[in-house]
Amino acid sequence: MPVTTRSDLLKLLCEAAELEHGIACSYLYAAFSLKRDISEGGMTWEEQQKVRRWAAQIYFVASQEMLHLALVWNLTTAIGGTPYYLRPNFPQDSTYYPLKVPLKLEPFGTRSLRRFIQYEHPETTPIEAEVRELLARAGEDEEEFSFASIGELYGSIRSGFEQIDGKELFIGTPTQQMTPEFVHFPDLVAVKDRVSALRAIDEITEQGEGRKGHRENSHFVAFVTMLKELLESRATGSGFSPSRPAMRNPSAGAGHGYAANPNPIGNPLAGRVAGLFDSAYSLMLRMLAWSFEFDSVDAGPQLKKFCNVAIDFMPRVLLPLGEGLMLMPAGEKYPGKTAGPGFGLTRHVMLPPDAKNAETLCRERIHELAAIAGDLLKQPLPDPVKAGCRHLQAIAGPF
Amino acid sequence: MSPAKNDFDVVIVGAGVAGAMVAYRLAKAGARVVMLEAGIRNPARPQIAGAYAIAPIKSPHSAYVQIEADAKAPSPDGAADYEQAFPEADRQYKSGYERRTGGSTWHWLGHTPRMLRSDFEMKSRYGGAKDFPLAMVDWPITYDDLEPWYCDAEREMGVAGSDEEWNDLFDSPRSQPFPMSMIWPSYSDMWIAEKINGKKFEGLEYRVRSTPSARNSSLYDGRPPCAGNSICVPVCPIGAKYDGYVHVKKAVDAGAALWEQCAVNGIDKDADGSVHTIRFLTYGNVPGKVSGDIVVIAANAIETPKLLLIAKLANSSGQVGCNLMDHLSKSTYGLAPEKLFPFRGPPSTSGIESFRDGPFRSNWAGFRVSLNNDGWSRKSSPQAQIIQLVTEKKLIGAELQAELFESVTRQVRLSCSVEVTPDHNNKVELSNNTDGLKIPKPKLTFSPSDYSLRGLAHATKTLRDIFRCIGATNIIDPNDADPRAFDGAGHIMGTCRMGKDPSQSVVDAHCRSHDHHNLFIVGSSVFPTVGSPNPTLTLAALALRAAQDVGKQLGIKKQRQTKP
Repeated sequence: MPVTTRSDLLKLLCEAAELEHGIACSYLYAAFSLKRDISEGGMTWEEQQKVRRWAAQIYFVASQEMLHLALVWNLTTAIGGTPYYLRPNFPQDSTYYPLKVPLKLEPFGTRSLRRFIQYEHPETTPIEAEVRELLARAGEDEEEFSFASIGELYGSIRSGFEQIDGKELFIGTPTQQMTPEFVHFPDLVAVKDRVSALRAIDEITEQGEGRKGHRENSHFVAFVTMLKELLESRATGSGFSPSRPAMRNPSAGAGHGYAANPNPIGNPLAGRVAGLFDSAYSLMLRMLAWSFEFDSVDAGPQLKKFCNVAIDFMPRVLLPLGEGLMLMPAGEKYPGKTAGPGFGLTRHVMLPPDAKNAETLCRERIHELAAIAGDLLKQPLPDPVKAGCRHLQAIAGPF
Repeated sequence: MSPAKNDFDVVIVGAGVAGAMVAYRLAKAGARVVMLEAGIRNPARPQIAGAYAIAPIKSPHSAYVQIEADAKAPSPDGAADYEQAFPEADRQYKSGYERRTGGSTWHWLGHTPRMLRSDFEMKSRYGGAKDFPLAMVDWPITYDDLEPWYCDAEREMGVAGSDEEWNDLFDSPRSQPFPMSMIWPSYSDMWIAEKINGKKFEGLEYRVRSTPSARNSSLYDGRPPCAGNSICVPVCPIGAKYDGYVHVKKAVDAGAALWEQCAVNGIDKDADGSVHTIRFLTYGNVPGKVSGDIVVIAANAIETPKLLLIAKLANSSGQVGCNLMDHLSKSTYGLAPEKLFPFRGPPSTSGIESFRDGPFRSNWAGFRVSLNNDGWSRKSSPQAQIIQLVTEKKLIGAELQAELFESVTRQVRLSCSVEVTPDHNNKVELSNNTDGLKIPKPKLTFSPSDYSLRGLAHATKTLRDIFRCIGATNIIDPNDADPRAFDGAGHIMGTCRMGKDPSQSVVDAHCRSHDHHNLFIVGSSVFPTVGSPNPTLTLAALALRAAQDVGKQLGIKKQRQTKP
């Protein structure tokens, strides 16, 4: 049904933001789980090259999901809304969203790839017989995949931007729009009118599903190819095992504000690292959301600083902590399993409109996190976790 | 098309980027095409990367060593692998090439800047000055003639670039956007840009631009985005960087035949001046032949004239083999005042184009500057640097680690690529030496002109000035030892120049031989002058344009262009 009011459009944009965000986390979890070194076992040198290629592709797809979130935020502020960064903690079963999308954190494997293929499947075409057969070969999940395509959600959003009078709709300040000048996303579209809004929506759907008749460059085909390669490699019987035995849907532990039904990490040290991950992740999101909300004319320096630090957090703090957690034991309750980051959105305030106050809050928080990282560094930790802690300290230093 | 009196409609010699693109276009349009490739097919990418990892000496070819292929169809890896007319280092040709299916693009860096409008009009624009080389000519085509084909080549190869930074550079506009947004500049590039943008040297302003490259910044043409493996040279381990094998495969999928390990040693001329029959030797020394209505020579700017000289073809002008060119390259090294963390992402993501054109070109050659992301690895390997710290500074353990972290993270390399002028005396001839199939090897004569050497001097001074602007220390400038010294850029060009006058050139504006109506020559051998950009995009654009002309001559009315 076409969308005809600003409020309905904003609600749908929030749903899109939640989904893009949650799906990006799910992809990152799978990428963190892929082994890096041959010494981890289960792969030959040649297979390691394949595994690293898969990891690179999943990280890339996840980065495009983050770009989609950024585009959704630009669409939101262009029509007078504020960037929505909240989302329910993992896991969420298919009853949570109108689209019936289940959101989970699982290591790389046939089960996660099946879900990723479903996330990205094209809106207008039924899944081809070849892909259906591939999904069947990959094994059955406990949940039946019957959710609607995310492309359909964007179809509704598109209808809102097409139907509602542009003069009334675009009430956001143009200088609120984030561009590559501030945040390092080269394809970030500044939304100022219907044409640019539709361009942003097309960019999101084309990257996911591909253009009609040109699916080969889509996330959908990338995951289908990955699943094919994984099944082929397994069929050789070489004992190929590309991923770490990470637990499913971890949480840092009790008292971290989780509302869902996760698996608390039992190992205390891993729980502390997972807690630091969540706190750093939440601070990063708050800084980004603030940057997308306020006018670059009024808050240019803070905005650039927040964006730089937030983007810096991703490869230098979150990635090594996330990968490193998957080298730490999950706890006695999960024999043979390693831990993982829960991507828990810890309870905290939105950053205030006043730029100086916002900076004060961030500065105090980042130094608190650096102190936690310093304490952790006194413990025996896997190398990636140590690197993440040191990088956090290095970023906090000049803040 | 005519009834099949020959084996194929088109025989293409060479399955590198130019030959493969022509083969793909024509096969897709329905022509019967065969590609003859002297080299072998490469093993899988991980094997190539593995061969490089264990090679004791790292050079582009060290990843591709294969004893039989290197004997039967040798791939020169540098100056020492050629018979050279002059023994002096500053009068030698230094760039090698790869005789493999897919050609030298296997180990190219992937940069694809276009030539400028002025690069096609050097004589008209800058001729007449006292120090301007007499051999500089205008192309028979203009930038505007080639512009649509540039767009076509960019789509075919998958070029990532910034429209904002590259539209209308030196009056050379783009009619279509880049197929992909730019490869994001490295941290080092952005840091240097902040320090130097807007400053001037010799009256020209520094502006760091991202370099367009045939490297995926997103999923494109069924290939993955760049994952920052940083070993584009000698191989992209995941196929994110374009190479000629992409179009070899497309051509074969479109129905073209591919005959590998077939080293051409003769081309027969018919009584009417046409050429149809190509003779070759397999690695087992078994002779073979194949015929086509049209013959396309797509070897490279050394192998193509070698073949034509062996066959005594296309040379009524006496220009075959003459005007051998490259770009003069030179690197300067320094340590930045803070850590810039090289070795992440592609080896080079940005450059400075300001010195490519201007009135100064009446007197000295234009040049590009590249900001590189590969530390000092071109000077000596990281392992050698570690050994030096251990043996000379006696460092070990934590101290060694700390010193490495302090120095390697600050390493910067800047390099230049200087225009070389055509010169009748710089040439490819046939050597008396032969390869493993008794086919003559090339003999090279090369000595850069004073015009180019003056450009090189300005370029190296520019690199020095950039280091001064960023506050670098420990600068290593090879100019201090020998101002005339240069490296090859791997850009083999000239030797079958394109022109309107059959007495002064080998092919016409459509890459068709003046002497033989059904012989086409594609590749950078047809460049009359070379400007300072990396040549692959231009040779690809020319090849796609020539493919249309070959198709017309075959009677193919409409050829489809593909949009990935």
